[in-house]
Amino acid sequence: MSETWMIAGGWMAAGLTIFLFSFLYRDNPFFKAAEHLYLGAGMGWWFQVYLFNIWKPKVWEPLLSGDFFVLIPAVLGLSLVTQFIPRISWISRYGFTFMMGYGAGLAIPATLSTDFMSQIAGAIQPFTALATMTPMMIFNSLVVAGGTICVLFYFFFSVEHKGAVKKISNIGIYFLMIYFGAAFGNTVMARFSLLYGRFDDLYTFSGANYFYASQILLIALVAYFILHSFLGGKKTEEEEPAH
Amino acid sequence: MKFIKKQIPLAIVMVTGLLMVASYYIPHKYSVDYVELMNKWENIVSAFAFLLGLVSLFYSHYGKIKRKADGWGYSLFVYIGFLAMVVPAMMTDGRQMVDGQVTSLGWSFRYIYNALSSTMFAVLAFYIVSTAYRSFRIKSRQAFVLFVAAFVLILGKVPLGQMIWDSLLGWTGQGVADIIEWIMQVPAVAGKRGIMIGIAIGAIVTSLKIIFGIEKQYMGKD
Repeated sequence: MSETWMIAGGWMAAGLTIFLFSFLYRDNPFFKAAEHLYLGAGMGWWFQVYLFNIWKPKVWEPLLSGDFFVLIPAVLGLSLVTQFIPRISWISRYGFTFMMGYGAGLAIPATLSTDFMSQIAGAIQPFTALATMTPMMIFNSLVVAGGTICVLFYFFFSVEHKGAVKKISNIGIYFLMIYFGAAFGNTVMARFSLLYGRFDDLYTFSGANYFYASQILLIALVAYFILHSFLGGKKTEEEEPAH
Repeated sequence: MKFIKKQIPLAIVMVTGLLMVASYYIPHKYSVDYVELMNKWENIVSAFAFLLGLVSLFYSHYGKIKRKADGWGYSLFVYIGFLAMVVPAMMTDGRQMVDGQVTSLGWSFRYIYNALSSTMFAVLAFYIVSTAYRSFRIKSRQAFVLFVAAFVLILGKVPLGQMIWDSLLGWTGQGVADIIEWIMQVPAVAGKRGIMIGIAIGAIVTSLKIIFGIEKQYMGKD
């Protein structure tokens, strides 16, 4: 890639980033164009991933080498496309049932071992090493095991939640809230790290070697908003301010 | 006709599902080969399922352009975006780098797709904070616990928060990083474990219902 292409890339990335961020002010044509471009680019990206990782090496090349066995999944897959023809859309059931059967068959042992047995083992196992544990470790293990039981009581609807069951399930709610709070905090921080990344890129593209792409595009967009508010004035239904 | 339309598909789901379950617990070369084959087949069928979504999307936007519906011009960008990824991919055989040099696909990925996807998720940061501000009304003790857990986690992961913690609670001898680690390793694990066990039971039961044909809504009507 030549330097010109890198500069063009900088302008492209800076423009698309600023267009998407412009939605924070209000909905506008630049945001919508970038949003639709994202949809198309996403589909294009996955199309080429499937093309070069599945269709070509796992269907096309085996067929050319005489392995007609791959026609079975290919036909099952193609059957899905009959969804678009209502008269024969029932054929798509063959592909769907294969996927459902595979998924369900795989989910049972996988879920049983990783999400069910391992989680129970994780709560119990620390107590097998009590002799080597510090008082704090014992306390933590008791909190984890006790908390898990309380949360399970909260989700247990076969008995009415009253008396002791209600008290235990109420404690379970506190553990759930801590988990939800922690998950929320992590999500916020993950989104902010993406935000820092975008700002970092905008800073990079604001340099002289990119001909001040970020500043120029930002000024152009601000000028558009100012002109639009003075000349266009009238707020359309589609261009509501972002909340 | 009912046999072809309904019973064969149900037989496919049952045979495929039961053989998958059995293969996991039978340590034999045949079962390993079967699982490998099914994984490969599933990849191929899923790829065609993607095609279903792609055709549906294109059909919907083609309809908008044809009808000249409101905002039809934006639909053109869907096709432009698609071509911006697929044409370079065809030219480079799906490779982003060749001999240490970025290809046109690598360029499109970095400056178009990556820029768009990371900005799209980054924009959510503002909305998450805005939503949190509006919804974090501490009306109960449970809501307070949720708030404290989230607040400590957010505070502890930025240098300013660590400085505030050290100046206010430094005398306790516990850094905010230790508190975050304890929250994540102990009470949050208890909450998560309870949810995961519940989900696991639900997933297993639903899977059994699908395999034995009790749950068949995915087959549609008729």
